[in-house]
Amino acid sequence: MRKLKIRSIVDGRVEGIAIVSPKPISFFGEIDPKSGVVLDSENPLYGETIANKIFVFPEGRGSTVGSYVIYGLVKNHVSPLALVANNAETIVIAGAILAEIPLVDQTKEDVTAIIKNGDIIQIDTEKQLLKIKEKRK
Amino acid sequence: MLEGEKGDAIAKLMQLIVKIGEVNKAEKLIPIASAQIAGVSYFTVGDSIFSFFDLLRKDEVKVSVPSWLNPAGMDRNKWKVMKIDEKFAKKQFEIIQNYEKMGIETTLSCTPYLIGHQPSYGEHLAWSESSAVIMANGFFGARTNREGAPSSLAAAITGLTADYGLHKKENRTPNVLIDVEAQIQHLSDFSALGYWFGERFHGLIPFFSNIEQVNIDETKMLASAMASVGSVAHFYIQNLTPEAKGINQKDIEEHIVFTEKEKKKVYELYSSIKGEVDLVTIGCPHTSLNDLMLIESYLKKQSLREGVEFWVFSSNKIIQSKAASNTIRNLENQGVKIFADTCMVVTPAVRNNLLNIMTNSAKAAFYLSRDKDINVKLLQLERIMERVTK
Repeated sequence: MRKLKIRSIVDGRVEGIAIVSPKPISFFGEIDPKSGVVLDSENPLYGETIANKIFVFPEGRGSTVGSYVIYGLVKNHVSPLALVANNAETIVIAGAILAEIPLVDQTKEDVTAIIKNGDIIQIDTEKQLLKIKEKRK
Repeated sequence: MLEGEKGDAIAKLMQLIVKIGEVNKAEKLIPIASAQIAGVSYFTVGDSIFSFFDLLRKDEVKVSVPSWLNPAGMDRNKWKVMKIDEKFAKKQFEIIQNYEKMGIETTLSCTPYLIGHQPSYGEHLAWSESSAVIMANGFFGARTNREGAPSSLAAAITGLTADYGLHKKENRTPNVLIDVEAQIQHLSDFSALGYWFGERFHGLIPFFSNIEQVNIDETKMLASAMASVGSVAHFYIQNLTPEAKGINQKDIEEHIVFTEKEKKKVYELYSSIKGEVDLVTIGCPHTSLNDLMLIESYLKKQSLREGVEFWVFSSNKIIQSKAASNTIRNLENQGVKIFADTCMVVTPAVRNNLLNIMTNSAKAAFYLSRDKDINVKLLQLERIMERVTK
């Protein structure tokens, strides 16, 4: 098991399966608010859903109405359990606060390289820790 | 507010401002004079916004400072002329009404400063439209960051923003001095200069020398292009930008020359029309009365060729004004369609089989060409008029 020190932006304690986007994500246009499915055909996650998983990505990008998409995911019961970014910028921060989804960032390393699809992740913002249990090979 | 005594929605919006401040190392929150709010066009917002409106409606949230809206996805009166379908129109009206109930003025304009909302020097604002942000900073000397849709709304409601970025003097210093050697005469030349800077110097603050005699319409073309292409949020022009007096040009780190060669290259980027032109779009940013009169002057002796759509976008307030009434009538008699409340960037109407588009705005060219089916040509207005009149 690996442990990473994190910065907490929206607090919470969750455990879940990781889904990792190697690319910055525009929540508006690249995530379907009704299903949580990744719509960007150039993303390796194309066609997969971020619903009920811990969504790991480098940073947000694109239109600032992406925050409303994150909020919409919660209202449509398809939200991720938590968001883990290298750099949470304003779009993601605003979305996570409105949606009340735990959001952490700023580990010293690139989370999208360390965490693999299917790894089990535990986030504890009180202890400022993210634990990675690798998936069984 | 943060603890939720004013309701769940306001507590969330307050938390949003505080957190954005914390992340950006702001030491305090500051009151704002006005807010300009994005997230209006149904085409660019989609359905997600409605669940957020539900939350705000429940707590009967109202804005606490003068606030106005960005353009919508259609003209409120002429949406049928634009071939917008009923379903889109219904959703669009619903979005506008939700904002209106919060006390936000439904200007539906990207140029609030042309319709009586000029910011004052030194005022702190929370504006979101990128071209209005850069004009507020560089032309008027007010102070605003590039707010997002939710953060501008949160600021409008709480009356506060976090004190970081362009709100602080130390972050407003120019970092690139541009010696403008090329001839910058037409509106599209200003647009090309802005495009070149934005593409090359993402997020930096330019100081333009040798373009001293510029008016507000030329400035808005220059500013809007660098804001959209390069996320530039502030600029200096000698004798125009209020803060320029305090700047010694020798202190600027990087110096660079903008020549005819660089200007030509921008025009060449957008020259992809195949066959006949379907549509001319002018008004990115929204036209002023002077802009409208310029188009009118070209159509005094010549008329539009058949088969060409000619769309001009402006603010409702300008189109409805008494001063514009003759010009509007003359343009409409010539077959020009004048639309309020929207623009070519945020309406789906442009995409309805109008795929070969000419414009004098590099910002419009940049956004329109993201659609793979659309071919865009960036051209001086004078050249456009030669192509589409007889």
